[in-house]
Amino acid sequence: MAEVHKPVILPPPHASDDEIIARHPPIPRVTTDEDSPLVIMELLQRIKIRDVMRTDVVVLSRRDTMRRAQDLMRRNRISGIPIAEGGRLYGIVSVEDIIQALSGGWIDDVIVKHMSNHLIVLEADMPLAFALKYFENYNYGRFPVLNKEHRLVGLISQRDVTRTLLYELTLEINKLEKKAMQNSQAEASGDSQAAYLLREWSVLHNDLENAGKAANDIKAILREHNVDRRLTRRIAVAAYELEINICIHSHGGNLTFMIADDKATVIAKDTGPGIPDVVWACQDGTSTANDWIRSLGFGAGMGLANSKRVSDRFDIKSVMGKGTTVTCSFNLKPGGE
Amino acid sequence: MTISDVAKILEGSLVVGDAMASRAVGAVVASDLMSDVLLVDADDILLLTSLASDQAIRTAHIVGAMGVVVHDSKPLPSTMSQVAGQLKIPLVSSPLSKYESCVRLHAALEAERSA
Repeated sequence: MAEVHKPVILPPPHASDDEIIARHPPIPRVTTDEDSPLVIMELLQRIKIRDVMRTDVVVLSRRDTMRRAQDLMRRNRISGIPIAEGGRLYGIVSVEDIIQALSGGWIDDVIVKHMSNHLIVLEADMPLAFALKYFENYNYGRFPVLNKEHRLVGLISQRDVTRTLLYELTLEINKLEKKAMQNSQAEASGDSQAAYLLREWSVLHNDLENAGKAANDIKAILREHNVDRRLTRRIAVAAYELEINICIHSHGGNLTFMIADDKATVIAKDTGPGIPDVVWACQDGTSTANDWIRSLGFGAGMGLANSKRVSDRFDIKSVMGKGTTVTCSFNLKPGGE
Repeated sequence: MTISDVAKILEGSLVVGDAMASRAVGAVVASDLMSDVLLVDADDILLLTSLASDQAIRTAHIVGAMGVVVHDSKPLPSTMSQVAGQLKIPLVSSPLSKYESCVRLHAALEAERSA
């Protein structure tokens, strides 16, 4: 079941900056429906609201008139205008407010008298999943977007969300199609290196509830293939440590498992932030984990060292700002290279 | 020593698992740090832990453990029991501390070996 979140509601215009910060709730985690395909769940977490929102926002001040708002809406073909001064958001004027002003005879009044100031806003750093929930839960066509300093930085509409999602989904489908084609070509050509088993799992940042599922699946696959019990354990340990690493240390990524000929390979690939010193990170006891991670039984700095210890071959590549790829290989035949 | 024997010795209850299961304890590991547990190279491990989370069960499954005991009567999250059921890992809840459990199990295993 999807969670229902409390909306972020702006404090009144007279509130001080300290009050604003004190009243601002922490960002909760969003869980998407379990039945959604992993690729969509991953997209909704990976894409942030700042990637989708429009930043060329038309704004007006509280002293402008409703008529000026009407004029700007008509000329720019927009249905809502945030009222902000110096980046501080005070309210919003919508088409509905303009219609009421026209029929009520206050179209020449200053905006501050008639704007909506009980606002629901989104934060630029929130995952896109939040925007979808807000559009679902609240009957608004757009939401103002604030940065960490609670300044207006953009506006997000359902149209912006649809456009971005269509674009990102097309990219993902192209990638999947390319991979499927490569696999079928390798299979048709009888390439001995062709993977006869290839599985991939998406691993989300901080999703400790689901972390370990991929490793548990890998263990089940190895059992089905009657792989030796001790070897199964070594592969499962590497997969588990790498999966937990993606979950707690990275922005998210994928865990891939392949069996080709006499070799099994686990590949953990994440999208950042990268490891500044991989030699240091692969030593026992080196950790950047916080208390929360430790309270869950991890974060003692043994993940990479453990993965390396159980592997026949271990490779790690990391680029700061881009991400880390760890590859653990295992010989399925005793004494095999 | 089966999982039912373990529950009895540790004054605990079998929350998940078959009371008639015959799989015997091969080694005992007491830890709250899952990376430590993953390091142990032994068969039929009984995991003694204070970590009442899904990850204790998932770790037990990875190392092929025969059971997990959670101590100090810690409340078990419902997902933990669900995962234990799915992965077929017997789960015992005990009111004892890990230290007390270690002492009792050591004595019981020694008695079993010398019998």
